[in-house]
Amino acid sequence: MTDTQEGPRGWAAGRKGSASRLRFTSLRLRLVVVFALVALTAAVSASGIAYWLNREAVLTRAQDAVLRDFQQEMQNRAGALPVRPTQDELQRAAGQMAGSSQRFSVLLVAEDARGKTVYGTSGGINGFSLEDVPASLRAAVNKRQKVTDGNKAPYHLYWQRVDDHGTPYLVAGARLAGGGPTGYLAKSLEPEAKDLNSLAWSLGIATGLALIGSALLAQAAATTVLKPVHRLGVAARRLGEGRLDTRLSVSGTDELADLSRTFNNAAEALEKRVADMAARDESSRRFVADMSHELRTPLTAITAVTEVLEEELDAEAGSIDPMIEPAVRLVVSETRRLNDLVENLMEVTRFDAGTARLVLDDVDIADQITACIDARAWLDAVELDAERGRHARLDPRRLDVILANLIGNALKHGGSPVRVSVRIDGDDLVIAVRDHGPGIPEDVLPHVFDRFYKASASRPRSEGSGLGLSIAMENAHIHGGGITAANSPDGGAVFTLRLPRDASRLTAEDDENTEDDKAGNTTGKEGS
Amino acid sequence: MGQNEPVPSLLLIEDDDAIRTALELSLTRQGHRVVTAASGEDGLKLLREQRPDLIVLDVMLPGIDGFEVCRRIRRTDQLPIILLTARSDDIDVVVGLESGADDYVVKPVQGRVLDARIRAVLRRGERESSDSATFGSLVIDRSAMTVTKNGEDLQLTPTELRLLLELSRRPGQALSRQQLLRLVWEHDYLGDSRLVDACVQRLRAKVEDVPSSPTLIRTVRGVGYRLDSPQ
Repeated sequence: MTDTQEGPRGWAAGRKGSASRLRFTSLRLRLVVVFALVALTAAVSASGIAYWLNREAVLTRAQDAVLRDFQQEMQNRAGALPVRPTQDELQRAAGQMAGSSQRFSVLLVAEDARGKTVYGTSGGINGFSLEDVPASLRAAVNKRQKVTDGNKAPYHLYWQRVDDHGTPYLVAGARLAGGGPTGYLAKSLEPEAKDLNSLAWSLGIATGLALIGSALLAQAAATTVLKPVHRLGVAARRLGEGRLDTRLSVSGTDELADLSRTFNNAAEALEKRVADMAARDESSRRFVADMSHELRTPLTAITAVTEVLEEELDAEAGSIDPMIEPAVRLVVSETRRLNDLVENLMEVTRFDAGTARLVLDDVDIADQITACIDARAWLDAVELDAERGRHARLDPRRLDVILANLIGNALKHGGSPVRVSVRIDGDDLVIAVRDHGPGIPEDVLPHVFDRFYKASASRPRSEGSGLGLSIAMENAHIHGGGITAANSPDGGAVFTLRLPRDASRLTAEDDENTEDDKAGNTTGKEGS
Repeated sequence: MGQNEPVPSLLLIEDDDAIRTALELSLTRQGHRVVTAASGEDGLKLLREQRPDLIVLDVMLPGIDGFEVCRRIRRTDQLPIILLTARSDDIDVVVGLESGADDYVVKPVQGRVLDARIRAVLRRGERESSDSATFGSLVIDRSAMTVTKNGEDLQLTPTELRLLLELSRRPGQALSRQQLLRLVWEHDYLGDSRLVDACVQRLRAKVEDVPSSPTLIRTVRGVGYRLDSPQ
C-alpha cells in the first residue's frame, strides 16, 4: 500500500524499499522455520508414539492368537504322535496342525525308530524347512532347562520375528516335554505389516499437513506482526524526511499498538519542539529585521546631516573649530560604517526571510567585473583575466555584491596584486579571485563564510561588517551557484565563484513579471 | 545646470521629523528649493498650491501611503516622482514602480545620491533641438517635446518621454536595459532594470493600440527593447 505511494520518489527510495522488504522476508522466513520446526517435532513425536503403540498392539494380538493355536495343536496333534513317529505320521500331523484357523506353516522334527531324523511339513517340499528357522531359535527350543519352582517345564515355547525377502514372518518353536517331535511354525505377518504401513502413511501425511498448516499459520502470524512493523518503518522514514505530521492509526491494545502509540507521542513531541524552535528562530529573525528597519530611520537623518558636516569640513577650512574637527570626522566615518552594517544586516534578513529575489539581465561578464573594480577604484590593484563577449544571464547587482566582497576581502587580507580570472565550464561561469597573501589558516577555512566570524578574537576589528563573505555566499546560492575557499599551492587564498550561466530557470515566475512579455507572439514576430 | 535657470522646487513628503529636517537641510545645501509635508494629504494639498517641479515621496506614511499618493498624483499629473523607501524589499520596489514612480532611493539615503537622481530626473524634461519622427500613428515632436497619437496629445511623464526619445533615436535597434538605465535614468553601471521594465509597461499602456501585444515597443528577449515602425 505504501509502496505505491512511495513509487514516484525515485530510484533511491525504491532501492531502500526493496532492501527493507528483503529484511522483512528474512524475519518472515525465520518465523516460518520456527513454526515448521515446532509442528514437525510435535507431529513426529505424536505419530511416532502412536505408530509404536499400535504396532505393538497389532503384532502382539496376532502373535498371541497364533502361538495359542500352535500350542494347542502341538499338544493335541503332536502329543498324540508316538515318541518315534514315522515320516508319514509326522507329515500328516503337520498337515492337520497347519489346517487350523490361523493358517500357518508347520514343521515337525522327530527321530524315527531307527534313530533317523524325520521331518513333517505342512507346505510340501518347497514349504517350511529347518533352514528357515534361525539357529538361535532352534538352540533355544532344544535347550533343556532345569525344572524348579519358578520353572515348571523343561522346554518352552520360543518365538522370533524374521524377515524373508521383505515379508515379515513370525517363527516359533516348541518341544514336547517327555520326548516327542519338536514343532516349528511360520506365520506370515504381511496383513499386519500392510495395516501398519498404511498407518505409517497416514501418520506421515498427517505430519505433512501439520507442516503446511504451521507454515500457513506462520505466514499469517508474520503478516499480522510485520504489517504494523512495516507501517511503523514507513512512518519513521517519513518522519526522518521532515514530515513531522506523520501519525500512525492505533488499533488494539497489543505491544505493537503500544509501540505505535509511543511513536505517535514521540512524533508529536518532536513536531511541537521543532515548531517551538522555528517560532523562536522566526521571532529572533523578525527582531533583527525589525531592528534594522528601525535603525534606518534615524540613520537616514544622521547620514543626511553628516554629509553636510563633511562638506563643511572639506569646503571651508577653518570654519569648524580644529578641536572639534577630529570628532566630526569620526562621526562621519562611523556613520558610514554603521550605514554599511545596517545595509548588510538588511540584506541578510532578506535572505533569511526568503524574500530576496533575482532581477536578471544579460550582461557581459568582463564588463561587469571591470565596472565593479572601477567603481571602487581598485583598477591598479587587480589583474583581470577575462575575455570580453562572454555573456551570462544573472542579477548584475548581486554579482557586483559578490565580486566586491570577494575582491575587497582579498585586498584587505591578502594584499595586491589580486588576480581575477573568468572561465566558462560547461553551463557554469567560474570566477576565481586569487590574492598573494599568506593564505587562510586551515582551522579558519571552514568558517570564512560564517556570519561575524573573525579569524581571531585578538585581531583588531577590520573595516568590514563581518557579513560580507556570508552575503556573497547567499547571493551565489540564490543564483543556484556557490563559492569555495581554498589555499593555492603557490601561496595565497583562492575564492572560486561558480554560477550557472543562465539563472532564469530558477526564477521562471519572476522572469515573466519583469520581462512583461504577455505572450510568445511578440518574440515570434520579432524572429522574422 | 546653467546659472540663470530658475532653482527647481521640490516637494518632500516625509512623516519622520528628523529625516524631513535632515533631508531638507541637505537638499537645500545642494541648491534646491524645498517644500515639506508630513503626510500624504498635506502633500497633495501643497502640490496643488505650490506646483513643484519634482516630488520626493516617502513610502511609509501615516494615513494614505506613498504608493497611493503616487497613484493619485499620476491620475492628473505627469510630474516626476522619486520614491524614498525604507523597505528595499523587492516587492515594494515593484509596487512603487507600478504605481507610477520614476525612480526610487533606498534609505538610509546619501544626500549626494538623492541629489544626483533628482537632477537626472529633472534633465529628462529638457528640450532637444531636433526634428520630429513618425512611427505609424505615433508622432514624436522633439523640439516641442510632445507626442501625439492619431493627432491626440499623449500625457507622458518626463521619464516616459525620455525613454521614448532614446528609443526613437535608434529606430529598429535593440537597446539593453543597462543602456537605457544609463541614457534615461543616468544611473551608474548597476541600475535596477525593473525601472526600465516598469516604465516600458507604462509607456506601452499609453502609446500602443493593444498594450498586451505591442507593435511599437518590442521586447527583444535576452537583450532589451526596440522601437519599430508597425509593418
